[in-house]
Amino acid sequence: VAIIGVGHSKFGKRSDASLRELAFEAYNDAINDAEVEPSRIDGSVVCSATHYDKQRSPAGVVAEYLGLNPEPTFNVEAACASSAVGLRTAWALISSGLHDIVAVVGVQKMTELSSEEIQELMGRAGDVMWESPFGTTMPAYYAMYATAHMSRYGTSEEDMALVTVKNRKYGSKNPNAMFQRPVTVEEVLKSRIVSSPLKLFDCCANADGAACLVLANSEQAKKLSDRPVWVAGLGLASSPMALAGRKGPMTSFEVSKNAAKAAYEMARIKPSDVDVAEVHDSFSITEILNYEDLGFAKPGRGPMLLRKHETELGGSIPVNVDGGLLAKGHPVGATGASQLFTIVKQLRGEAGDLQVDGAKVGLAQNIGGIGMYSGVSLLKA
Amino acid sequence: LGFERFGKFGYVSQTKVAQMVSFLEKDQLPATRCKKCKTLHFPPRADCQNCRNPSVDWVTLDGSCTLITFTEVHFAPPQFQADVPYLLGLAELKEGPRVFAPVDSNISRPTLRLGIHMVLRVVRRSGDGVYYQLQK
Repeated sequence: VAIIGVGHSKFGKRSDASLRELAFEAYNDAINDAEVEPSRIDGSVVCSATHYDKQRSPAGVVAEYLGLNPEPTFNVEAACASSAVGLRTAWALISSGLHDIVAVVGVQKMTELSSEEIQELMGRAGDVMWESPFGTTMPAYYAMYATAHMSRYGTSEEDMALVTVKNRKYGSKNPNAMFQRPVTVEEVLKSRIVSSPLKLFDCCANADGAACLVLANSEQAKKLSDRPVWVAGLGLASSPMALAGRKGPMTSFEVSKNAAKAAYEMARIKPSDVDVAEVHDSFSITEILNYEDLGFAKPGRGPMLLRKHETELGGSIPVNVDGGLLAKGHPVGATGASQLFTIVKQLRGEAGDLQVDGAKVGLAQNIGGIGMYSGVSLLKA
Repeated sequence: LGFERFGKFGYVSQTKVAQMVSFLEKDQLPATRCKKCKTLHFPPRADCQNCRNPSVDWVTLDGSCTLITFTEVHFAPPQFQADVPYLLGLAELKEGPRVFAPVDSNISRPTLRLGIHMVLRVVRRSGDGVYYQLQK
């Protein structure tokens, strides 16, 4: 199975566009990119965390607006990892022989919710029976991992700030990113506390946006495309939603380690073979944990990669050189497809100023919610 | 006997383990133990995760625990905004299971260290609500 076309809308506060219109921007871009007749698409998978959408069951209107009726369509939801699950779903639909060419549309419209509505949703991000009744928030959960990592390994707030500074630097070169202005370590450290030790600039922002992937079976991919990007490995895992249900010192995500293991095994490659990676930087600390969970650094050594600039362009493993969630914004359902968009562009050598020279193997990692889902996808040129 | 009385703000009212509230009202920390394989469950479960047996006994816990991690929340959901900043913690109980709970706001931040001994104790909120909290 190969990705033969990718598309991306501008991410950010898109008060000019509805959910279906955002989906259209990414889809149209992907169809033009794939140079495929839209009538050849025989199914669509719409990825969104539907509790953010005004429209119930959004696959209905999205497929209608994109002109994909009467072919099958449905929604997949795994919170922030919805698109990783969408890719896996499309891969399975195609590998089974049921479908030949499938569109995966990641889309989210978040900014038209009032801040009251957003905060109410945020309060129920965790286990609603045993943890939400104490006033949990999404940042609070990740902050607890940060506290543990700092205590065990001596990771500092400056180390975390380096993630934001790096990603905002690259975001300023990505026209699709929500934030176009680079920030300094000092600005990150001075931003207001959200949930200690995480400050405002350690956190990604809610956004509107869409990204789209067109997938085809190998026969069609070879026929239709002169630059297909192949799905080499897929890993997806789950973890208890309750923080209290997880084991260990809370300095890593078991769920990501499990997903990575499955993806590396399927692709028969090791972490050092990866040339470029997109990892889920919902918070600065998350990117550091991801370096370790994906095998780019040993446990506790993630901050060393940042201090030595190894995850920047020119380093041994460039990560989030499109700005990541911290600069692009995080339209939940679209984020995973946006990561894959970037990896496809990189592997085709079409990433412009942000190109990693000679990139042949790319990785995208997408965490869902507070770490109950994680997907790792490996692509090859 | 509604489960919405559990916590600082309860979202869920209906569950097979609603009886938990009546233990907390007696200042007891309840857990369940599988009648068949004897696995201890905290938070209490109505159904054994180990052997799928849907029959459990109620038991009580000591409350002794070790702090694993914590955070101080400054940006809160609507129902909790009057309380900011507040502390949330994760601790491992002497009996094995872990507990996610608020940390006593009278504890000064600098004295909180990972690995310190703490005690889970029952506290009441205004109205008829009841929950547990990590204390020193």
